Amino acid sequence: MTCVEVRENLVICWGDADELSAEVLAHLAECEACRLEAMLLRETRIMLRSLPDEQAPVGLTEGVLARLADEEAQVGLPGRVAAWFVPQDQPAWARAAAVGVALALAVAGGSVLYHGQQPAGNEPETVVATTQGQVPGQAEYDELLLRHRALEASQALADDPGVTLVTYYR
Amino acid sequence: MLPAGSLNNRRGVASTRMAKAATLSQAEIERFVERAKRGDRRAFGRLVDEYKDKIYSYVSRMLGDPYEAEDVTQEAFVRAYRSLPRFRGAASFHTWLYRIAGNLAIDVVRRRKRNDVSAFSLDEPLESDDGEYEREIADDTGGPEDATGTRETQLAVRRAIMDLPEKLRDVMILYELQGETYEDIAEILDVPLGTVKSRLFNARNQLKERLQSLVEAGEIEVEQ
Repeated sequence: MTCVEVRENLVICWGDADELSAEVLAHLAECEACRLEAMLLRETRIMLRSLPDEQAPVGLTEGVLARLADEEAQVGLPGRVAAWFVPQDQPAWARAAAVGVALALAVAGGSVLYHGQQPAGNEPETVVATTQGQVPGQAEYDELLLRHRALEASQALADDPGVTLVTYYR
Repeated sequence: MLPAGSLNNRRGVASTRMAKAATLSQAEIERFVERAKRGDRRAFGRLVDEYKDKIYSYVSRMLGDPYEAEDVTQEAFVRAYRSLPRFRGAASFHTWLYRIAGNLAIDVVRRRKRNDVSAFSLDEPLESDDGEYEREIADDTGGPEDATGTRETQLAVRRAIMDLPEKLRDVMILYELQGETYEDIAEILDVPLGTVKSRLFNARNQLKERLQSLVEAGEIEVEQ
């Protein structure tokens, strides 16, 4: 067995005699240079083992969760509404569609409630429900928003969560 | 050339002395992953608790800076949460986390190189808005007499590891200190098994040479 072959074996087992074959041990008995190499490897391993374990700083989990909560708050209501209907592992288009459907449902529901609260003979302003499940274009959105704000100003919709959802279309 | 079949599934030296044993079963981990995928942050919190020590120690050893390591670890978990929908379970969750954290750590190393700050010393104080302060190196030694020697040795070993080429350092840390298997390391680094083994072989050789030169220079002593 050559010194090169022996040293490959030594590196693999960190020079640990317990893990060496009889052939390698026989070589070591005769070769001082390889014995020195084995000792150096054992020392290196000892030094490596002197490193202490490292533990994550206190509060790391809380920090991660706080950041996630902040991010989710920034995503806003549509993201959370979508999450109710479509799991996060669905494609972006499916989640976007879910936002639209969720908003339409909420708007429709709000409109019905609103309609039910109106005095008889007074046709309710159901403008926010006219999207019929479709995300409105910019012009339609602007018109809806204007009319919605006018209604809000009259306090008619101030407390209706279904109707106010329309403002999330942007 | 390595002897065929020589580097098999033996664990690294640190495999039995990781900071904390896993507390969740594989089935529980899978359940928490599924819940976290559906947006359950509490479930994700359990996963963070489970893996934070592993990931932090890996990043800290890669970067040699505990404060930067904390930021990178936190960022790794945040990114993991965001990417959970794309996690299909082909890789194990912990190797997937390692990969995210490792990529972030390598970004930091490369940024340092670009800014030419790679050669910082573990002995040098850190600078902050409040002035300079010493780097904290955990000291788990018994008494004050051998504490200094051990601390010096630890610093020397850390420095020698930091001096290894990036690819060798990664494998050295994952195998020798984190106790990962060759198969897991291959998955984490996305390299063939043979590459892991040859990198580890070279890393051991280079580390031995670097530490030996420090011993010969009388900078550190070895406990026999």
